[in-house]
Amino acid sequence: MSTSTVMQPAASSTSALTAARLVLERDLRLAFRKREQLVQPLAFFAIVTTLFPLSITPELSRLREIAPGVLWVAALLSSLLALEFLFRDDAQDGTLEQYALSGQSLTWLLFAKTAAHWLLTGLPLSLAAPFAAGALGAPASAWTGIVASVVLGTLALSLLGAIGAGLTLGVKRGGVLLSLLVLPLAMPILIFGSQATELAMKGASIAAPMYLLAALTVLGVTLAPIAAAAAVRISLE
Amino acid sequence: MAWTWFHRLASPPHVYRLAERLTPWFAWSSALLILAGLYGGLVLAPPDYQQGEGFRIIYVHAPSAWMSLMVYTVMAVAAAVGLIWRMKVAHAVAASCAPVGASFTLAALVTGSLWGRPMWGTYWEWDPRLTSELILLFLYLGYMGLRSATEDVQRADRASAVLAVVGVVNVPIIHYSVLWWNSLHQAPSVMKLDKPSMPLDMLVPLLLMLLGFTLYFVAILLMRLRGEVLSRERNASWVKEALSR
Amino acid sequence: MMEFLEMGGYARYVWPSYALTFAVVILNVVWARRALARSREQARRRLAMQEEPT
Repeated sequence: MSTSTVMQPAASSTSALTAARLVLERDLRLAFRKREQLVQPLAFFAIVTTLFPLSITPELSRLREIAPGVLWVAALLSSLLALEFLFRDDAQDGTLEQYALSGQSLTWLLFAKTAAHWLLTGLPLSLAAPFAAGALGAPASAWTGIVASVVLGTLALSLLGAIGAGLTLGVKRGGVLLSLLVLPLAMPILIFGSQATELAMKGASIAAPMYLLAALTVLGVTLAPIAAAAAVRISLE
Repeated sequence: MAWTWFHRLASPPHVYRLAERLTPWFAWSSALLILAGLYGGLVLAPPDYQQGEGFRIIYVHAPSAWMSLMVYTVMAVAAAVGLIWRMKVAHAVAASCAPVGASFTLAALVTGSLWGRPMWGTYWEWDPRLTSELILLFLYLGYMGLRSATEDVQRADRASAVLAVVGVVNVPIIHYSVLWWNSLHQAPSVMKLDKPSMPLDMLVPLLLMLLGFTLYFVAILLMRLRGEVLSRERNASWVKEALSR
Repeated sequence: MMEFLEMGGYARYVWPSYALTFAVVILNVVWARRALARSREQARRRLAMQEEPT
């Protein structure tokens, strides 16, 4: 944490924000060249959602009761699946090391990477969520509430997950460990997210859980990139 | 001047010797307190007017639950100190904490569910405190998993320290979100397990047990700390002397 | 004495709780001692290896 201020050369011509924007653009461009990374989490989300009607019941009236939980567990697992690749490629080809040595604030660069990651996985998931919910019996009136809650929830999850991804960078086959680290910390997101979805499906006000989700997201935006930068530095040593 | 004790705590040989000297004091005083607490709790304390003799589980459940939280806090504070001041000894303290904390979290869970069976009629209830305790166990397991997956000790120290600090920020959030979730989903537990006014002859043994377990933790911590300090030390001169004893 | 052991019918829950907790208490002592012994052994071996070449 303290190291990020120590290493900076005095004259770096680009500002932190410009550098962050460049990283964001680069990551988005790279992802659109490799489409399977975009499609896989979505396909996984759809498959997990399908498992529940098949294993419990095809009756919409009974599925409706468990729909919020199913939706959020599926969203949580698909975001986790994508998290493993958040830093991996860039760590393997040395890009991450260049970032750490660039003199730019690593916190900002990783924040940009996390933002790109969310745009590539969290946002599509949020847009797919109402269809999954509809298939589980959610009324169309709940769609905006569902999208809003999944947007905030996946955002908080990506930020939290960036810490876990940074910590498990040096670990071989760290996927399971990553889930073990991130899932317990993600419980509040799951609780408030499925609460918001449930309230939205009942047609009630979702303000209370949404405020709490927003608070978690704000906390994540302010603190998580700092912790993620510390984690990545440790893993790169 | 006032800070010399702090600097001396950063010196491995000093800490090793200090831990060696202090361990028996903590061990014996904790054994005495726990024995006194057991006698008070099992024999002297009267049966509870609602739960009868069943309430005596509190004398092992509460200390275990207290250990699970206290050890996590100690671990996170030590980890933060280690990160901020780059103090090897602090990392060694944090590393010593995790297995102790995890085992007592498990004990708190099992004794809690054994207590729940006669009181709630079921071994497991998604009671907010049991649920938070379960999540705490997962946090410990994640911490230990990360440590054992990282081969280099220094890297394991610092990576797990980041995780412990992130975890401790999250513990209150998890606790309150679980409380909130629980209050929405079900009526409050059948029985309030803690009554605000506990008679003195029930309370004193409980306090003895809590203090005894705390001192016990210090004794275990000091013993583990010596091992962790030794394994981090490459400088031979004092290690040789320490090993000769 | 029997009355004490019966714990007012709660013996099935009280005694396993105590047994488990004290098993954890004792196991932690055993583990801590073993960890310390292992670290001492490793340090001893490391010292021996450092001294050999000279």
